[in-house]
Amino acid sequence: MATDAPSAPAPPPQATPPLVPAKAILELDGVVAGYGRTTILHGVSFTVKQGAITTVIGPNGAGKSTVFKVVFGLLRAREGKVRFDGRDITNVEPRRLLSLGLCYVPQGRNVFPELSVRHNLDLAGVAAGSGIDFPARIAAAMERFPMLRSKADRQASTLSGGEQKILEIARGLLLDPKLVLIDEPSIGLSPLMVQEVFAVLAELRAKGVTVLMIEQNAKSALGLSDQAIVLELGRTRHQDSAAAILADPRIGQLFLGGAMGQTAPHVVDAPPLA
Amino acid sequence: MESLLYLVLAGLMTGAIYALVAIGFTLLWQTSQTINFAQGEFAMLPAFFMLVALNLKLPLWLAILLGVGVSILLLGLAFKRLLVDPMLRHGVLPLAIATMALAIFLKESVKEFYSAEAQRFPSLFPEQKVDVGGAMISIQSIGVFLVAIAAVVALQLFLSRTRTGRSMQAVAQNPTVARILGVPVERMILLTFAINAALVALASALVTPIYLAKFSNGEVLGMAAFVAAIVGGFNQIRGAIAGGFLLGIVDNIAAAYVSTQYRAAIPLLILIVVIMVRPQGLLGRAEERTV
Repeated sequence: MATDAPSAPAPPPQATPPLVPAKAILELDGVVAGYGRTTILHGVSFTVKQGAITTVIGPNGAGKSTVFKVVFGLLRAREGKVRFDGRDITNVEPRRLLSLGLCYVPQGRNVFPELSVRHNLDLAGVAAGSGIDFPARIAAAMERFPMLRSKADRQASTLSGGEQKILEIARGLLLDPKLVLIDEPSIGLSPLMVQEVFAVLAELRAKGVTVLMIEQNAKSALGLSDQAIVLELGRTRHQDSAAAILADPRIGQLFLGGAMGQTAPHVVDAPPLA
Repeated sequence: MESLLYLVLAGLMTGAIYALVAIGFTLLWQTSQTINFAQGEFAMLPAFFMLVALNLKLPLWLAILLGVGVSILLLGLAFKRLLVDPMLRHGVLPLAIATMALAIFLKESVKEFYSAEAQRFPSLFPEQKVDVGGAMISIQSIGVFLVAIAAVVALQLFLSRTRTGRSMQAVAQNPTVARILGVPVERMILLTFAINAALVALASALVTPIYLAKFSNGEVLGMAAFVAAIVGGFNQIRGAIAGGFLLGIVDNIAAAYVSTQYRAAIPLLILIVVIMVRPQGLLGRAEERTV
């Protein structure tokens, strides 16, 4: 794939331009995967630059979440390779990926509803190495997100949707990941909470953590992102800077369900994004 | 006619046994969607393992220990690997039917290879009775109650106070997320099967001195545990405990005040009423189906 060539247009002003040409931390090469006899991914290839925020966009059924499941070892890749930090991680178990520095925050609610907030956080410790002072990390997470401290002994199910998302993200960050995969973080959250979640992602980037996200709220996600990947029907359609994708009139059309190659006149000048 | 106090106390003893068997039933459902219709036979069989050890002139405590160990191997690990794993791939219902077949197999095997007659089984506790607020209760009953309660409390502490216990809860509440956090899901499920086997073996050692060891013991215990688990909420351990005690007490009172003939119908009556009025059980939460 030559889609991440240096000739890409400059990133939007919100994004921090990388000072040195960033290396790829995650590479997918011709990944084929699916459920049962159904093939969802027909050869997905892309690269994710280290220290950047990259957003995966595409219409429903494009295979965005499926890509994340393959990367995190929850779904087998039938063909193709996944490389992380120079290492082949194709079909590697989640437990091992956690120790390599990957973290995955899936779509929807992912807390253990009947465990307390503190115990939800503590469970991330099952994959922690022996040299890690895990209680100190939980204390630091509570420092960063005071809500987690004030509600530490409450059942996670009593938290609001936004608070649960913060808990999930905080829990994922306890092992100091290098790459965070986050699927639809804003879904079902109030606008204020969406802002908070996006602020956390920007903060991660400032610390050098790479973020790969899927987001239906594509306009704000692309505004925050450095890079964007467009998936369609299980294939990589396009990879470019987020600004270039945001300016592309065909993107809106893609979200309305059309194919990028189509040139039906009534959709050519559709608004860029919903 | 016995006093009401006596019946309640006797009910607590029976209820503690029902709770032990019902908790395991609930655990298996929570972590691996296994509805074990052989649960009653699982509580019948360990007594025969212990009898075999006793026949070899081993002391009672060692026989019980060996019985629990063999139960963990056969009714825990082998059950999981040889029956649950292959059947669960075909769905929850085929597995449930397979456990019914296993129940018949275990029952008939004991009848065929050990004995069809009820066997005496030594008790850990002396025969004497003590006066509890006017009711004469045997030390045996009190001992059974205390040991069962201790096991339940120990299990609850393990589940809530240790990270391994909470990992098991996590697997029950959301296996996918547990896996994403690196919880060894398969090992946790296997551990639930081992714990279930230990609980039924303990129940077996406690109850058999009272009811004698017989191949058909599982019929009553299995039904009681099933009803207790459903009445309590099926997806909640504390529900299984509450259901067990409720059933034990109602069972004893019904036998005394209603009729011994209708005794067996009372739990089923409770079951029907609970399912009609509160289908999620007394302490249960409504289950969500995802996909």
